[in-house]
Amino acid sequence: MTALARLAGVSYRYPGAEALALDGVSLEVATGSYTLLAGPSAGGKSTLLRVFNGLVPQFHGGRLAGHAVVAGLDPARTPSRRMASVAGMVFQEPESQAVTETVEEEIAFGMEQQGIAAGEMRRRIEALLPALGIDHLRYRRLLTLSGGERQRVAIASVLALEPRLLLLDEPTSQLDPAGTEAVLGALDALRSGGDLAILLAEHRLERLLGRVDRVVGVDGGVARAMSPREAAATLAAVPPVCELGRRLGLDPLPLTVDEARSALAGRRLTVRATEPRAPGDELIRVDGLTVAYGEHVALRDVSLSLREGEVIALAGPNGSGKTTLFRALTGLTRPASGEVRFAGTPAPGAVRERTAFAGLVPQDPALALYQESVRDELRDTLRHRGTPRAGVEPALARWGIDHLAGRNPRDVSVGQQQRVALAAMLAHDPRVWLLDEPTRGADGAAKVWLAGRLREHAANGGAAIVATHDMESAARYATRVVVLDRGAVRFDLPARAALGHDGPFPAQAAQLAPDAITVDEVVE
Amino acid sequence: MHAAAWVAWVGMVMALALAITNPLYLGIILLGVVLVAVLAPRTGTGVTSFRALAIFGVAMFGISMVVATINGNYGEHILFTIPGPEVPSWLGGLRLGGPVSAEGLAAAAIRGMAILSILLAFGVFNGAVSPQRVLRSTPAALFQASLVVTVGLTLLPSSIEDLRRVREMRALRGAGGGLRDLPSLVVPAVIGGLERSMRLAEAMEARGYGAAPALPARARLTAAASAPLFIVSAWCWFYEPGWRPFAAVAALAAVACLAYWWRAAARLHHATRLNDEPVPAVDRAAVAFAVGVAALAVGARLTGLGGLTYNPFAGLPMPAFSVGGALIALATAWPAVRLGLRAHAATRAEPETALIEVAP
Repeated sequence: MTALARLAGVSYRYPGAEALALDGVSLEVATGSYTLLAGPSAGGKSTLLRVFNGLVPQFHGGRLAGHAVVAGLDPARTPSRRMASVAGMVFQEPESQAVTETVEEEIAFGMEQQGIAAGEMRRRIEALLPALGIDHLRYRRLLTLSGGERQRVAIASVLALEPRLLLLDEPTSQLDPAGTEAVLGALDALRSGGDLAILLAEHRLERLLGRVDRVVGVDGGVARAMSPREAAATLAAVPPVCELGRRLGLDPLPLTVDEARSALAGRRLTVRATEPRAPGDELIRVDGLTVAYGEHVALRDVSLSLREGEVIALAGPNGSGKTTLFRALTGLTRPASGEVRFAGTPAPGAVRERTAFAGLVPQDPALALYQESVRDELRDTLRHRGTPRAGVEPALARWGIDHLAGRNPRDVSVGQQQRVALAAMLAHDPRVWLLDEPTRGADGAAKVWLAGRLREHAANGGAAIVATHDMESAARYATRVVVLDRGAVRFDLPARAALGHDGPFPAQAAQLAPDAITVDEVVE
Repeated sequence: MHAAAWVAWVGMVMALALAITNPLYLGIILLGVVLVAVLAPRTGTGVTSFRALAIFGVAMFGISMVVATINGNYGEHILFTIPGPEVPSWLGGLRLGGPVSAEGLAAAAIRGMAILSILLAFGVFNGAVSPQRVLRSTPAALFQASLVVTVGLTLLPSSIEDLRRVREMRALRGAGGGLRDLPSLVVPAVIGGLERSMRLAEAMEARGYGAAPALPARARLTAAASAPLFIVSAWCWFYEPGWRPFAAVAALAAVACLAYWWRAAARLHHATRLNDEPVPAVDRAAVAFAVGVAALAVGARLTGLGGLTYNPFAGLPMPAFSVGGALIALATAWPAVRLGLRAHAATRAEPETALIEVAP
């Protein structure tokens, strides 16, 4: 294989930033290779991807030192119009990259910009639609598609320019498991078809380590290329199978559950499971809750109870009613019928009073931040809640952000901003936490930290409901798993039954040691 | 109906509503627009709803009347007098209170009717055609500019959505609302909107939507020259009757300059279209008809034929009425003929709900 792209000693600093975003990166990308960029958030993965198509430094400004060549072109100097037909890029959010209205027009947009003849455009569209499994969506409006469908349309619209290199920046972080699998499956199919090289940045490695040829670990602006097995041994955050392999000293390290199974054949693993405390008094009770938006019934006769010490992982595909349940619990949406009781009494009417007891952190909570400093954000919440100002410092300490207290919440890293937003929404320390996909796009360390906070809160007599697609993380904190499907409760099981080896969502650890759901419970 | 036909219709309504001041004809125009509104489809992804624009139009009508009343006005038919301070004339002749005449109110109502017609026409246009469809039928010379506008329009709804979400988040943090909290609403929504625009701009850049090569200086200068030519032409036509032939020549020269720029810009733009939505013969005829009627109205206004203008201050006479003028005004209803025929042929629309929307 020949090198399609080569970086030599590339360093880069965003305009106005103090630290280097990339620090002397040298890397080769071979024709037809599949490379995963892994590492903590704000480590430089996105920046590195953008060097390959020239967005860094052409769009973001700043100065790039070192040398970069992609298919014989210098991306830092080549006009974007030309670069687009060499290196195509798919972004994190499906919504913020669409320019047109329908699937067909979206795929054609880039080609129209390049002045490609209509007949040729049709030929390419005919070839791309089946390759990505979106044949049936051709004339649909983009607004009506699911996230997984939209990401596949985004990939098709980028591939329509027939680039040699496909760059994907956390393309599945906003998707549910079905959407993720569809996107990754489409990438597998593209690989087998030709000499397209794929570079993909992602936090969740479970589905990827077994698929890629090579992993580039990116941390603190430094990149290091290695084999997937080497990555499983050295990266800070790895999937549970690799983690278990490390602890048991398996060599070679397994990358998939199947590999781990054959490596462990004949070995006896003992499991030391910690039984969760018996739940205490009932904090929330929902009876026959039905919510409709016009014709569309978002929740259908949902009944649920949450007790002290419980943490419910609320799962289900996008659009199954998870967010609506939170909205109904906090009074943002009026239910058509049904009753919500807080600690045995009917829940108050106003959003303000309800969230004093059950605090909700919606998706993208950073949208609520507006103060000049992190301390002011927390003080603002406490002022509205009428709680003493003295509460600010303890809250900063509880959420581990005291070192950020004087910083502007818009200037901290994305991961820190998430944490500040959580702290700001829950500064008044409500009994019940309602978290809507808090780990979306978060890196391994952030997930472990949040799981710790949730367990701590439950141990102190609180309770929480966490909407999530990430069942491997849920195994670390959940005591129960509730699954919604088209607005109705499909399962309501103890976590151990739901995530166990014969449950509906077997965790990786459970598939290897039947009685465990997390790696920590497995001992030799 | 093709997007081009809708654009022509809105342009025609604007031209007519601005050229005509005769309340009888304006009434016919307004009725024509309402008729089209009832029959028009609501399939587009227009940003502002028809209802919002209709309410805005009625409010503008009301404000026009109120301002006319408060300001007081001249005229012989004094209805009543509002007591007000005498403002010295060196303050620009601003009046507060004073006699309210029937003439003044009639003038305000005429202005209001014109504004209402135009806003309703825009509302119909918004509901019937999505910005993307308009973009597809813009001529190549205007492609870049119209793409920018379209993207802006697509972002607007998400900004409104942001504002709603920020407001909810404030409530979740226990805020009570009120003016004191205004910055906490606006700041995050504006920042969110900016970030969203930056992400979209980045995605477009990554897909090769770079800056197009600049237009040659000659073409730009020629385009710029058309503006003073138009001004000179208008001045000579209206204020120097003896110079009218020269005015006509100047206007032609200005149009020629624009045509030159148009061709240069179109040639520079190399993009192709996947679906070059061809304009059917019926819609071509419709565009020609709309342009013709608009030209006729403007011509009649300039030459004073057909009684299109009306001056209430000349003693509040009965407005003139002629079949020709009425036909020009009635021409605004032409989409209704096509829409009515189609509605009759295909499944029936829902005129009841549409009617409710017309009357806010």
